[in-house]
Amino acid sequence: MAVESFREMLKIDEDLTVKACSVAMKAHRSSDQLIQVENFSGSSSSEAVIFSFPGSGSEKDWFSDASFGAKSAKGSVFSEYLRSLGTDEAAFLNEAFLQKFEYIRKQLQDKVEEAVKGNKKIVFTGHSLGGPVAVLATIWFLQEYVKPQNAKPPFCVTFGSPLVGNHILSHALEREKWSGYFIHFVMRYDVVPRILLAPLSSIQQQFNQILNFFKLKSMSAGYESSEITNDASNFFTSVMRNASTIASHVACNLMGSTNLLLETITNFIQLSPYRPFGTYVFCTENGKLVTLKNSNAVLQLLFYSCQLSNETELQTVAYKSLRDHFAYESELKENLLGMQDVVSIDPLEKIGVADERINQALDDLGVSTAARLCLLASGESEKQKRKNQDKIDSKKPEIDKILKELESYRDASKDHKVGYYDAFKLQKSQNDFKANVKRLELAGIWDEIIEMLKRYELPDQFEGEKEWLEIGTRYRRIVEPLDIANYYRHLKNDDTGPYKIKGRPRRYRYTQRWREHEERMEAGSSEESCFLAEVEELRTRTVNGIIPSSDIMTRVQKLLGQVEEWSHHNVIGKDVFLEESTFVKWWKSLPPHLRSPYINAQVLSV
Amino acid sequence: MTVFSNGSETANLVASSGLLQQLWTANWNLYGNNDPNERLRFQVYSQENYNILAFVTSPLTLQADQADLASLSTLKEKFPVFELLCSKNNPTFAINKATILLFASYHNILSELKNELCKGPPYKPLIITGHSLGGSIASLFTLWMLNSMDLSKTKRPLCITFGSPLIGDHCLHKAIFQSQTWKSCFLHVVTNQDPVPRILLHHKPAHQKGVYKPFGTFLICCESGSACFEDPDSILELLAATASHGAQSQNPYQAMPSVDYGPVVENLYHRTFCKGATELVDWAKQPFEVGIIRQLQAIGVAQPQQQNIDIINLIKREKQLVSKTKLFDPSKKLNDMKIYMVYLEWYKKLSKNDKTGYYDSYKEKKGTCEFNVEVFKKELTNYWKDMVKEAENKPQKEGASFRIRWLGAGTNYRRMVESLDIAEYYKENKLNYETQGRSHHYIRLEAWLKEWEELLKEENNSGGKQNNSKKESVASILTIDSCFWAKVEEAIILCNLLKTEKFGAEEKVKKLKDFESYVWGLLTNYEVSSEIFLTGSSFMKWWKDWKAYKKTLGSSFTSPLDDFMESREYVDYDGGNWSPPIYTRPF
Repeated sequence: MAVESFREMLKIDEDLTVKACSVAMKAHRSSDQLIQVENFSGSSSSEAVIFSFPGSGSEKDWFSDASFGAKSAKGSVFSEYLRSLGTDEAAFLNEAFLQKFEYIRKQLQDKVEEAVKGNKKIVFTGHSLGGPVAVLATIWFLQEYVKPQNAKPPFCVTFGSPLVGNHILSHALEREKWSGYFIHFVMRYDVVPRILLAPLSSIQQQFNQILNFFKLKSMSAGYESSEITNDASNFFTSVMRNASTIASHVACNLMGSTNLLLETITNFIQLSPYRPFGTYVFCTENGKLVTLKNSNAVLQLLFYSCQLSNETELQTVAYKSLRDHFAYESELKENLLGMQDVVSIDPLEKIGVADERINQALDDLGVSTAARLCLLASGESEKQKRKNQDKIDSKKPEIDKILKELESYRDASKDHKVGYYDAFKLQKSQNDFKANVKRLELAGIWDEIIEMLKRYELPDQFEGEKEWLEIGTRYRRIVEPLDIANYYRHLKNDDTGPYKIKGRPRRYRYTQRWREHEERMEAGSSEESCFLAEVEELRTRTVNGIIPSSDIMTRVQKLLGQVEEWSHHNVIGKDVFLEESTFVKWWKSLPPHLRSPYINAQVLSV
Repeated sequence: MTVFSNGSETANLVASSGLLQQLWTANWNLYGNNDPNERLRFQVYSQENYNILAFVTSPLTLQADQADLASLSTLKEKFPVFELLCSKNNPTFAINKATILLFASYHNILSELKNELCKGPPYKPLIITGHSLGGSIASLFTLWMLNSMDLSKTKRPLCITFGSPLIGDHCLHKAIFQSQTWKSCFLHVVTNQDPVPRILLHHKPAHQKGVYKPFGTFLICCESGSACFEDPDSILELLAATASHGAQSQNPYQAMPSVDYGPVVENLYHRTFCKGATELVDWAKQPFEVGIIRQLQAIGVAQPQQQNIDIINLIKREKQLVSKTKLFDPSKKLNDMKIYMVYLEWYKKLSKNDKTGYYDSYKEKKGTCEFNVEVFKKELTNYWKDMVKEAENKPQKEGASFRIRWLGAGTNYRRMVESLDIAEYYKENKLNYETQGRSHHYIRLEAWLKEWEELLKEENNSGGKQNNSKKESVASILTIDSCFWAKVEEAIILCNLLKTEKFGAEEKVKKLKDFESYVWGLLTNYEVSSEIFLTGSSFMKWWKDWKAYKKTLGSSFTSPLDDFMESREYVDYDGGNWSPPIYTRPF
């Protein structure tokens, strides 16, 4: 493995990093100022503006409830990006951190605008509780400025920051390819990055004393206290025990546990939802820096690097776990500028190969065989995800071939005046039957993909891949009408309910959400592939002399408007306007005032 | 793919979660509640998010033959409840006599308790725990609960025992092992200091065959650490090997000592944030093996001088267990099965165009078809035979929910494919398909559908599909009774017999009349495919015969079906426009 410098590895200058650390510590000390802004012009020509946030707070700044204080990002400013696309699961974020960010957002926005106008590089940084605010500010900046306006990508550098969100946060940042902008420094024994692995109820007794110690320590670096020893030990023990529970739980799953006992027990214990993301830089006690990116592996290391060799160490290590929280500035000045070694333990599969540097780095972090097995398992699990994707990627030509066949089926059906939807519904000719087989062949391939996505068995980037988005959209538009035809042919709406609510397969829901996300469309607005399902539903309610309710009329009008728009954008085929098609037959049965000239023109033109 | 062994991670999870202390305390408190005359004590402790039910017994010495296994069949009268545990392929099992007798003597009280705990909603999840023989009772009670609970609505219970003796034979193990969910409910904690879980280890009952076999997961612990194992043979081997001096081979009829698990679980709890004592150098090449050896080291049985453990075999067994329990997932093949069904549907369609219907086409091997129907039929049959077997292997309760999930697709399959089996059967000139020729899996699939429909009826009294839509779609449906064609064939045979022999004509005519009204019943409910009226169909052949015979009997034999057939109302039926006439006189 080539030896790289810190700068090469993380794409950020050492002196900027050290400067960020100083600014972060300064912000921590002057907690009356919500945002600190400093300009930086370092040795290299690049200029930057550093934003930092104060780091102290009380219990309620950590936990919004007695458990883990996490809340869904749904409905927050982060709801668009911080979710898993297909499953539409929102990330969970620490509620107190989110509130704090919301509190400063307006003020931040004004200052950020200024920096963006100056075309300066922006660095968000924070120590301790300042870290999460820096993280959320960075995500906010990425979604508001980088994505739509192409602003320069920011950096986020945190020091001893608590965790911020759950696995979906990590997943979403990976998908958007934003993870690389986050760098988190963690001292080997610093307890703060581990705190949110424990529920408040388990540490509440000591938490105020600990926070008080932090406060005094931040005001005077030389502050020491022997009174805290007992509380420190109990606090450290509780945090570590909970860290052990969640690390073991994650490790079991990474190792491919087949024993469902794990699941049964999980119903009765509290497991922290929080997971790391971005690049972690662990500082060993002997001045080395070890970097690691894999979220699961970082979680393991957060626990294992803090394990004791024996119980007699407890008091010393527990006190150290508090003191080290304030050691970042001196540590970095000494080691980062001193051009000390930086060792990366990615890719993790290499961890088993006898690489002296990596072995030494792990020894320096004091991790055991058990820990190494867990790291290896994290790597293997990632490797398996890539293998899964290779397997799926290899099916692209097959999907493409079948789609082409179905496209020519669609085109051929035009000659019969009814379009392929109605032809398929009637199943009269052999081509209709063949199309049905093809529909099911594709369903097999797509269901496998969807199943893997549901279980997070594909790489995080998968749902962000252009090529899959395109093939997914194409698939959805050509094949979903066949699924709808099949559904209404077998009258499944009678005993199951409307297609869109009860019958729509995930393979279409997921692919629709991919497109809506990519194009930043409103949820549900790319439903063109299942508009015939709505026609089928409305058809039975507007014919036979029944006077439709106003509710139905609203739906009719909405649908007609959408059809015009989709037709205008060419996302639905011309075949729906064929004389004998279900849609046209229904449309003709509507009262004249609902029949727009646009659709009339379409019908006449085909 | 690299395989790992996660026993020590599971052990860590359990130890650091704090559950063990909490449960042990519940057991321990119960010992303090005095009523020394009560042989079994139990109590429900209400926690914030779940309940704990603990069992302990008064100090106990096994009597007479109480260390033996008692087979369920000898106990049947007292325990109809445990019959539910049996599956078709695993009809009985045996349980330790002392345990079952104690359970029996508290049967009524426990039954009340169970009903109380199963009451809901809201259901509060339950942890069941017990110490020593109390642990055995806890296990039995858990099995009982599992049978009574609707696991789709409530979280499954967790049973954690401390120092419980072995409970049942290999059949009990098998019965539990066959269900992924059931076996996941049991964790047995055993320390190397405790003789009680080991007293029945080598017990050979005097007049019986069979030995004890553990079920569930065992957390074996000692001073230096803990390990989790699931394979029953590994557990037996390790229980013996880890026994400290004094815990080794106590006679089952000695008084059982009461080992305090408090310090044991406390020690485990403390160890979680300390590194293990031993470190391995060559760890990455064989992660699975290293994982196992680490566990053996943790419980102090991996030293080279240890002769009583066959490590290589143990690793082999554990590996097998991992590969064997790769979860059975029939959904993967379901899309393939749907494709085969589409082919058959097409075959059916082609045969209809030939004016024969797929039943007769298949029987006569008539018509040209570009694909081989038999291949699809065989694939489908194999798949559904496996599915039915899988469902039957599960304990009744769990099997039921498994069945419901697949019932729709299974029913479709049965209605499509069984006709083809019937065709083959009668082509070979055999008789009485329904009683002699029907494959077991069809019988089960049909029975399960009936059960399900009964259940639905109880739940919402709905009459099912609207007749209107049934009417419109009748041309494309599959006949509801998958044995319809067997009945037709039997009717044809009866007609033929009537022509040749006079003996017993009356009974035959009665049977044929019954068949006729059966067909009429199907028609009026739109439950039979209109294909049966195709000119080349066996049904039409029967009708011709029957009509001719009826003529010889005179005009007193008119029926609604006569009118229907004569006025060709089946054309309307096929077109989805036919409604049954309303008769004023009963037919």
